[in-house]
Amino acid sequence: MNTAVQTPVQMTLTGVGKVYANDTTALQNVNLEIRRGEFYSFVGPSGCGKSTIFKLIAGLSEPTSGSIEMNGEELSKEDIGFVFQNATLLPWRPVLDNVALPLELKGVGKKERREKAQEAVDLVGLSGYEESLPRELSGGMQMRVSIARALTARPKLLLMDEPFGALDEMTRQNLHFELLRIWQKTEMTVLFITHNVFESVFLSTKVAIMSAGPGRITKVHRIPDYERNERFRSSPEFSDWVGTISEELHQHEA
Amino acid sequence: MSQESVAATDTVKQERLDTAGQKRTEAGRFTGKVREISGRVLPPAAAFLIGILLWQAVVMITGVPPYILPAPTDIAIAAAENAERLQTAVLSTMLSSVVGFIASVVLGIGAAVLMASSKMVERSLYPYAIILQTIPVVAIAPIIVIWFGSGLNAIMMIAFIIAFFPMVSNTLIGLNATEKNMKDLFHLYNASRWQVMWKLRFPAALPFIIGGMKISCTLAVIGAIVGEYIAGGSGGSGGLGYAITVAASRLQTPYLFTLGLSASVFGIVFFLTVNYFSSRLLRSWHDSELKQD
Ligand SMILES: Nc1ncnc2c1ncn2[C@@H]1O[C@H](COP(=O)(O)OP(=O)(O)O)[C@@H](O)[C@H]1O
Ligand SMILES: [Mg+2]
Repeated sequence: MNTAVQTPVQMTLTGVGKVYANDTTALQNVNLEIRRGEFYSFVGPSGCGKSTIFKLIAGLSEPTSGSIEMNGEELSKEDIGFVFQNATLLPWRPVLDNVALPLELKGVGKKERREKAQEAVDLVGLSGYEESLPRELSGGMQMRVSIARALTARPKLLLMDEPFGALDEMTRQNLHFELLRIWQKTEMTVLFITHNVFESVFLSTKVAIMSAGPGRITKVHRIPDYERNERFRSSPEFSDWVGTISEELHQHEA
Repeated sequence: MSQESVAATDTVKQERLDTAGQKRTEAGRFTGKVREISGRVLPPAAAFLIGILLWQAVVMITGVPPYILPAPTDIAIAAAENAERLQTAVLSTMLSSVVGFIASVVLGIGAAVLMASSKMVERSLYPYAIILQTIPVVAIAPIIVIWFGSGLNAIMMIAFIIAFFPMVSNTLIGLNATEKNMKDLFHLYNASRWQVMWKLRFPAALPFIIGGMKISCTLAVIGAIVGEYIAGGSGGSGGLGYAITVAASRLQTPYLFTLGLSASVFGIVFFLTVNYFSSRLLRSWHDSELKQD
C-alpha cells in the first residue's frame, strides 16, 4: 500500500473521551485521523482503552465527550468486520456455516451466502475444510475461520482486537503474511490492536502508542512502505522501529 | 476478494498433518473400548452375583420367614406368579412417567425460553421456580388429587410437576451461560433477539438442557410411583406405586421386593434411554465443549 498517505480520510476522532458508568475514565481526549486503506495498529498496556476505542468506532458504545466522524461515504454497521482474540466460533457449526453467519444474520439467502462464504474460506486458505467442525481444527486454522467470517460481509473496515494473542509464534507469523496479502487485495482499512510491538511494526502503516491512567494516545508513528517479508523482519530498520516504539511505550508506564 | 490462496497452502498443509495424526489413534480405540467396558462391567457384575448367592445362603441357613426377608428365589417366584399383574403395573407406570417427562421437557424448556427472553419476567418468576422445586412431592400429590380426582390424570400431573422445575432451572442456567464474546459478536452483526435466542443461546444451552433431562427423567419415575401410591386406587390399572400399597397391606413381602426391583430397573432403563439419545444428539459438538472446561 504505497498510497496510504494520499488516500482520503475515512474517519476522524476529535477529542474523544469515554467515562464508564462506574466512573472509570477509559479514554481521554483521543484525536485520530484514519485514512482509507491504512493498516492502523494500536499498542499499549492492558487497560489503556484499546478495546474501548473499537467499541466506540463500531458504534457499540457512545463517547462521553468529543465526536467520531465518518468522512465521505457513511459507514454503516454492516461495513465493519470484527475479529477477536479467541476465534469465537459456534462449536456446533461447520466452518462454512460459521463463516456465513454474518450474512445469515443479515437475512441473505442461503445460496448467495454460501457462495460468499466459500470465497472467504478460499481467501484465507481453508478450501477443503468447509465441513469441518471448529474442534477439528488447530488454533491457527480456527483464527483463519474467524478472519474469513469477518471478511464474508466484505467490510470496508476490519477491526481486529488482539487477534493473534493466543497463537504460537510460528502460526502467528504465517497469519501475518496471510493478513497482509488479504489487506492488499481487498483494500480495506484495518484497525489492529496488539500489545506486541514486533507485530505492530511488521504489519502497519501507522502505529498509535497508547498509555493508561487515563487511556490516551501518546504518539502516532507512520511506518514507511517497506516491503513486508522475512528480510524486513531481520532488517536494521525493523529493529530501529521496534526500539523506538518499545522505548516510548515504557516511558509512559508509571 | 477472489479465490487465490497460494501463500496459504504451506501452513495449511502443516496443520493438516496435525489432524491426520489425531485420526491415526482412532484405530486402536475400539479394542481399548472393549477392554474398558469389560474392566468396568465385570467387577460390579461379579459383586452382584456374589451378593445374590450370599443373600440366598443367609436366608436358607437362618431360616428367616419369607414375609420378613424373602430369598432371591422367592422374589423370582413371586415375579413369575404375578407376571400379568406385574406387566400391567409396569406398563402403567411407564406411561405416566413418559408422559410426565415429555410434558416437563416441552413445557420446562418453553418456560425457560420465555423467562430468558425478558429479564423482568425472569426476575419475577425465577425465585418461585426455585421455591416450588423444594416442596416435597408427597405434599403436592394430595392437592393434585383434590383438583384432578384420582387416576391416571392426577398421576401424570404429579410426575410432570416434579420433573418440571429441574428442566426450567437447568435450561435457564444454560440460556444465561452464553459466552460474552459470542453475544458481543451477535450484537456487532446486528442480530435480533430472536436470532440471538435460536442461533446462539438455545444451541449453546443444549448440554445444560440434556443435564436437566437426565435429572427429570429419574424424577418423573419417582413422581409417577408416588402419584400411584396416593392416587392409583380408583384409576383402574394402578401402576407400580398402587401395586406396592396393595402388596404391603397383604404382607406379600416377596412380591413387594419384586415390585421395588421392577421400579428401579425401569428407572435405570428409562435413564439410560434418555442418556443414549441425548448423547447422540450432542455428539457433534458438546464433547469439545466439555473438554474446554
Ligand atoms: N463496560 C465497562 N464498564 C466499566 N469499565 C470498563 C468497561 N470496559 C472497560 N472498562 C475499563 O476501562 C478501561 C479500559 O478498558 P479496555 O478498553 O478494555 O482496555 P484494553 O483493551 O486496552 O485492555 C479499563 O480500566 C477497564 O477496566
Ligand atoms: Mg482489550
